[in-house]
Amino acid sequence: MPIACPNGWGRECTDAAPPPVKRNTAPPGDTEISAATADLLWVLLALPFAGSLLAALLPARARNAAGLVAGGTALVGALLTALLYSSLADGALRAEIAWLPSLGLDLVLRLDGLAWIFAFLVLAIGFLVVVYARYYMSPEDPVPRFFAFFLAFMGSMLGLVLSGNLVQLVFFWELTSLFSFLLIGYWHHNETARKGARMALIVTAAGGVCLLVGVLLVGKIVGSYDLDEVLAAGDLVRSSELYLPALVLILLGAFTKSAQFPFHFWLPHAMAAPTPVSAYLHSATMVKAGIFLMIRLWPVLAGTDAWYLIVTTVGLATMGIGAWAAIFQQDLKGLLAYSTISHLGLITLLLGLDSPLAAVAAIFHTLNHATFKASLFMAAGIIDHEAGTRDLRRLSGLYRFMPYTATLAMVAAAAMAGVPLLNGFLSKEMFLAEALDTHSGTPIDAALPYLATAALALSVLYSVRFIHQAFFGPPPVGLPKQPHEAPFWMRVPIEVLVLACLVVGTLPAITVGPFLDTAVRSVLGSATPAYSLAIWHGFNRPLLLSLVALAGGGAGYLIFRERLNAMSGAPLIGRFKGRKGFDAVLASIVNTARALERRLGTVRLQPQLKLLAAIACLAAFLPFGRYGYSLGDATGTIADPGFVVIWLVGGACAIGAAWQAKYRRLAALILMAGAGLVSCISFVWLSAPDLALTQLLVETVTTVLLLLGLRWLPKQRPDVWPAGRPPLAVRLRRGSDLLIAIAAGCGMALISYAVMTRPLGESLSTFFLERAYAEGGGRNVVNVILVDFRALDTLGEIAVLAIVGVTVFSLLRRFRPAEESVRAPEQQLLQNAADEAREGRRVGDTLTDYLLVPRIIMEWLFPFIIVFALYLLVRGHDLPGGGFAAGVTMSIALILQYVASGTRSVEARLRVRPLSWIGVGLLVATATGAGAWLFGYPFLTSWFDYAELPLIGRVPLASALVFDLGVFILVVGATALMLIALAHQSIRTPMKRARPAEPS
Amino acid sequence: MIQAPDLPLWASLLVAVLLLAGAAVTLTGSLGLLRMKSFYDRVHPPTLGSSLGMVLVVAASILCFSVLRSRPSVHELLIAFFLTLTTPVTFMLLARAALYRDRMEGREDVPHDDA
Repeated sequence: MPIACPNGWGRECTDAAPPPVKRNTAPPGDTEISAATADLLWVLLALPFAGSLLAALLPARARNAAGLVAGGTALVGALLTALLYSSLADGALRAEIAWLPSLGLDLVLRLDGLAWIFAFLVLAIGFLVVVYARYYMSPEDPVPRFFAFFLAFMGSMLGLVLSGNLVQLVFFWELTSLFSFLLIGYWHHNETARKGARMALIVTAAGGVCLLVGVLLVGKIVGSYDLDEVLAAGDLVRSSELYLPALVLILLGAFTKSAQFPFHFWLPHAMAAPTPVSAYLHSATMVKAGIFLMIRLWPVLAGTDAWYLIVTTVGLATMGIGAWAAIFQQDLKGLLAYSTISHLGLITLLLGLDSPLAAVAAIFHTLNHATFKASLFMAAGIIDHEAGTRDLRRLSGLYRFMPYTATLAMVAAAAMAGVPLLNGFLSKEMFLAEALDTHSGTPIDAALPYLATAALALSVLYSVRFIHQAFFGPPPVGLPKQPHEAPFWMRVPIEVLVLACLVVGTLPAITVGPFLDTAVRSVLGSATPAYSLAIWHGFNRPLLLSLVALAGGGAGYLIFRERLNAMSGAPLIGRFKGRKGFDAVLASIVNTARALERRLGTVRLQPQLKLLAAIACLAAFLPFGRYGYSLGDATGTIADPGFVVIWLVGGACAIGAAWQAKYRRLAALILMAGAGLVSCISFVWLSAPDLALTQLLVETVTTVLLLLGLRWLPKQRPDVWPAGRPPLAVRLRRGSDLLIAIAAGCGMALISYAVMTRPLGESLSTFFLERAYAEGGGRNVVNVILVDFRALDTLGEIAVLAIVGVTVFSLLRRFRPAEESVRAPEQQLLQNAADEAREGRRVGDTLTDYLLVPRIIMEWLFPFIIVFALYLLVRGHDLPGGGFAAGVTMSIALILQYVASGTRSVEARLRVRPLSWIGVGLLVATATGAGAWLFGYPFLTSWFDYAELPLIGRVPLASALVFDLGVFILVVGATALMLIALAHQSIRTPMKRARPAEPS
Repeated sequence: MIQAPDLPLWASLLVAVLLLAGAAVTLTGSLGLLRMKSFYDRVHPPTLGSSLGMVLVVAASILCFSVLRSRPSVHELLIAFFLTLTTPVTFMLLARAALYRDRMEGREDVPHDDA
């Protein structure tokens, strides 16, 4: 697809390769210096996060300390950034850490002119806002938390602008959404703040998801996520079929973040945040992230009709709607919020125009807007702070109370309105010049100068209104506080920013000029146009339009002043309530989810299991429907009669278990154990001693744990149906259950049979059999697979086991059995009654006495079983055994103790700490795996050797044994935890109502 | 099919006799289990297998492997030891449970408490 170049510049700018990149691995001469400089980027990025952590650890009232930490961090960061500027002269700085090179995911920090300007804004304005916030925040607020969020947000924003990898950029993008959520909702006791924060999070994070998909598409087109490579592949991206979806998704991300129409509604609601947050988020950061992204990807994505149409239209609409809504606001911060939206629209519009000069204007205006908007927000905060209200209708004549603040606010507002000799004027002139220029010849292009002038006139109007309503006129009446001048340190940040507005406005070429030039060159490369930052370009059409806008805005205020004060909302667009739409969308999503849950969900386990089994069964049958079922041609073997008998017994046990499961659980359990034993015997028969051993042990533990659980299940009595037989629905349900069971069982048998009649083929087992001893140092191939070849799987599995153990424990901790199972078992009651009836016996004597001999034998077996468990563990690498089998054996030793002596007496003598065991086991296994790193091998590489021990002889030593030890400890812990969770049910004091009060 | 071709004839014969005797004793115990009527009677016959039957089989195993390896191989004694130790536990638990149930149900043919 040929690229349309609406402005005639397109070809040039699209061909522009980005400036050369200085990699810290490249030229031999100054490698060391540039590498060291580039590594400073990591320090720069880590700084705010470290500060955030530090601030978070401070006590809740440590206001000054937190302020110092935050201010110091921001200041050091800003100075460091300033120092780094000199190394940008010959290209971008780049620092890399390889993370997942095979997936194109590396940590890359990249500092070029554009990133530098944004990083400096983030840190410098961040520092000023910290100074301001220290005096703004009330001592009653938990200020360290505020600064912790603030610094984390600063770090995320910094990470965003410094990212040299697109996926990494999206990661920091989402982090800014997250931390802005925390900042906006800082006053979480306030419902508006919570709602505003949630709205901002949902809108921007949803945009972030779109952005991620868009970035992945770009990565797919280019074949790399690396920013340098993406920037060099502009033509490739624009000619790709995926260009349009990628563009739309990325723009969705940028528009939601930068509050572009129709996603602008979250920004005014975010005004519920503390004013310093607004000053920071809505001037230099957060909303500028979207702008930054559009500038960053401008060389890649811009230069097509689609870009022009989408970005210009959205920017124009946002600029107009924002300016229109701003003039009707009665809340100071609301006015500033809508004016921010309008200015963001202006920048977006400039970027949409697709000409390099417009891009220069966009970057310049971003800079200027950050300075004047931050100072205006801070001024608004001072008014709110000192006068107690932000309502423009109630404010009046504050000039006499706070002349400094008033003057500063006036200069800043004048910059916003575009009064000459201030920075806003310069970028506005550039904007108007671009608006007058012909770009595409579409109706938008023709109408642009008029619309732009109109929007600028509105901007003048709301700036004048802001200043005049707040500071001039008669003294205010009935304010909540007696207004007075703000403290010195609250004004200083505004003074610095206003000074910047003035200096840039009067001496642009020697102040901001070089920095702007570096930034522009880093984006446009060789397509950088000639532009002039002079104040006076002669009496030309942009100046005329500018004057018209100034005069129109001023006149508009004079004429409509009273009427504006009487309005409660913006006409024309007042009925379009972004918030209502947002709430409606959210509500419909929630309602749909609820309806789906009602339709498809159930709280009963049986239907869920039935569905699962039925779907799995169906899925397994589907391929046979398509390809047919056929047996292999392997000849059958003659069945051994003994084996057949064993399997018949096993089958009978299994069917019997199913048959008895409903009303006679104990019988079903015993039959199930019988079936398990048969499979255990089958393993022995087929020469798989390892499996047989494990199966036997697991079978034992499972049966005992299930037996313990049976005690707490309510009794199931056969149903008595009125008509003598179950109703049709019940019979249907049972019938379908039976059908599913038969289908699943027969299907499994058929699949197994079809597989087993085919030749085995080349499988992995050959590999394992050949390498187990040579490379794993063990003769027990199963164990070598578990602890060496597939150790990562094992690590995952034991982690799952640990999670299951903890889950069972936490579920049972709150478990309250059915009322009928709460009282002690019948036998125990009778025995206790007998004790009471007889002379000289205490309650519980029979319980302890009547199994005296078995109990003592079982207690004596404890050490023997432990020795056996250790034996299994140690020999596991070469002979059947291993950590898992040993762990289960060990837990059998514990279970036996509990069974023999009872919970209380065991725990009086033994320290059973299953939770610590689980933790230690997991740590040992992970640490063994990580130990391989020390020797420069990949995670979980094992090592083995033989050692000569006196008396015992040659002993194999393998690091896998230590790993297995971790498995062992964890298995003991997890099993013991479940056991204890069950065992403690019987010694727990039931709820009051379940047991009459006992004399203590 | 010869599993152990290296075993001398005299040892083979001895091992075979011991094994068959052990199996026969165990079979007798199982038949007894089948033929006896009451639970308390039935407790006794299976112990044949876990005592004498087990001893004979263990002896057969010790003999067989000691001859094959030309050195004493007696770790089967551990099997004998632990079986002797643990089988009574099972039977005691079973008998206790049966006794308790039958007494609660007021059955007549329950062994009496002599104490």
